[in-house]
Amino acid sequence: MDLFELLNFYVIPGIVLGSIYALGAVGITLIFAILRYAHLAHGDLATFGAFVALACVTAMGVPPLAALPIAILVTAAIAVGIDKVFYEHLRERPKIVTVMASLGIALMLRSVVQVVWGVDTQTYSRGIVRPEDYFGLRIRDRELYTVAALIVLVGGLQLFLTRSKWGKAMRAMSDNPNLALLSGIDNRKVVMLTWVIAGGLCAASGFFLGYNTEIKSMMGWHMLLPMFAAAILGGVGRVEGAVLGGLIVGIAEELSVLVIPSEYKAAMAFAILLFMLLVRPTGLLKGKVL
Amino acid sequence: MNALLSMESLTGGYGDADILLDVSLHVNPDEIVAIVGPNGAGKSTAMKSVFGLLTIRGGKMLFDGDDITRWAPNRIVQRGICYVPQVDNIFREMSIHENLEMGGFLRKGDLSAAYDRVYTLFPDLKERRRTPAGSLSGGQRQMVAMGRALMLDPKLLLLDEPTAGLSPRYMEQIFQICRDVRDTGVAILLVEQHAKQALAFADRGYVLAAGKNRHEGSGADLLADREVAEMFLGG
Repeated sequence: MDLFELLNFYVIPGIVLGSIYALGAVGITLIFAILRYAHLAHGDLATFGAFVALACVTAMGVPPLAALPIAILVTAAIAVGIDKVFYEHLRERPKIVTVMASLGIALMLRSVVQVVWGVDTQTYSRGIVRPEDYFGLRIRDRELYTVAALIVLVGGLQLFLTRSKWGKAMRAMSDNPNLALLSGIDNRKVVMLTWVIAGGLCAASGFFLGYNTEIKSMMGWHMLLPMFAAAILGGVGRVEGAVLGGLIVGIAEELSVLVIPSEYKAAMAFAILLFMLLVRPTGLLKGKVL
Repeated sequence: MNALLSMESLTGGYGDADILLDVSLHVNPDEIVAIVGPNGAGKSTAMKSVFGLLTIRGGKMLFDGDDITRWAPNRIVQRGICYVPQVDNIFREMSIHENLEMGGFLRKGDLSAAYDRVYTLFPDLKERRRTPAGSLSGGQRQMVAMGRALMLDPKLLLLDEPTAGLSPRYMEQIFQICRDVRDTGVAILLVEQHAKQALAFADRGYVLAAGKNRHEGSGADLLADREVAEMFLGG
C-alpha cells in the first residue's frame, strides 16, 4: 500500500470522523467541567440535531448546509429546555442521579426521533459524490466543510472563553465554583450558556455524521462511547483536549481496520478510554480527575 | 462612632448543631479586628456567619445600617462585604488579571480604576498579570485572593487565616498589606491562628473559646492579659 492510499482511505476519513467526534466531545467536556457529571444523552441529542436538519431539508427544500444553523439553534434550545425541566431539579442531589436521568433522556430523545421520523435510514441528498483530486489527495467537499466547521465553531468558542466576560465566568465556574459564587457570578446563567454551547455543538456533530454517512435513529448512541473516549483522552474540562482527543480516536478507529475486522473498529474507542483511565486519568492535557 | 458591622448575640451553626453561642462583636470603619482563639473555638464560623453561610438561630447582624442577618451571599457581596476563604481562594487556571476581573464581575462599566488600586497595593502582581494564578507561591496567591476581593471596592474585607502556611517574611508582608488596605478606607475582620502576631498588629481583638466570647480589647491589652496569654497564646 502506498502513502496516498493510506491517506485517502484511512487518514482523511479518520480526520473527518475525528472532527465529528470532537464537536460532540467539546460539549461533553464543558458539561463535565461546569456541571460535573457525564451527560449520557449527548449522542441522542446529536441524533436529534441531525433529524432537525433533515426536517428543514425535506420541508423547506434548503441545501443541507443551510439547515445546519437552524439545527444548531433548535437543538441548543432543546438542550436548555431539558436542563430546565429535568436536570435542574436534581442539582442538589448526588451526581449519579443526574447521570442516570440523562440515560433516560437519551431513550426519550431517541423515541421522539423514531416516532416522528421513523427508523429507516435516510440521507440529506441522494446520489454519489465523487471526491475532488488535490495533488493525489482525494477529498469530498463535505469532508472539507466538516473540518472547516470544527475549526470555526471551536475557534469561536475559544475566543468566547478567553475574551468575553461570560466566557471567563464559565471558566471561573469550572475552576472554582465556590469562589465564583462568592464573586457574585450567577451560576444559573453560566449553566444555561453551557447548554446552549453544548447543544449547538452536539447538533453540528450529528449533522456532519449524517452529512458524511447516513441519518438513522441510532447514529448518536453509537457515537457516545467515542465522544467520551475523546473527552477523557484530551483531559476533562479542556476544550482543545477534546478536539485533539476526537481526532486521535477518529484516526485510530479508521486505521484499526488495517489490523482488525472493521466490525470491531468501535472497540478502538473503548480500548483508548480504558487505557487512559488506567494509565493517565487526567488525559493528555491534564484535565480534572473524575 | 457607629460600628460598620455589629454582630449581636449571634447563635447558630451548620445544620442542627450550634457552634456559635451568643457571640457579639463589632468592627468600626477604618479598623483591623482580629478574632483569635484555640482550634475549634468557632473563629472561622463566626466569620462565615457574616457571609450568610450558616444557619442563624438567634441574634442579628447589622451592616452599615442594614439588617443583613438572613441575606444571601451574593446580596451581601453587592452591599460591600467581600470574603477571602482560607483555602481555594483563587482561580488557579486563570491569569492574575482574570482573577481580578472575576472579582469585579458584579461591577458595571470601566474597571481600570479598580485594577490600578489593586496593582498599586500589590506591585508584584502587576508584573506577572498574565501568569496563571495556580503557579504562584503561597504568599503571592494570598495577594491575588485579596486583590480579587478588593475589586468590588468593599467597605469590609473578611480574611480567613490569611497567613496560614506562610513564612514569617510573607506573614509580615501580608500584615503590612492589611494596614495599607485599611488606610485606603476598608475595614478588615480577620481570623488568625498566629494569635500573638495578629493581636500585635490588629487595632482590636476578640478571643473566642468554645463558641463564646471570652475576652475583647485592644490588641496590646489582650497581649498583656495574663489569662489570655496562658490560655490561648502558650504563655
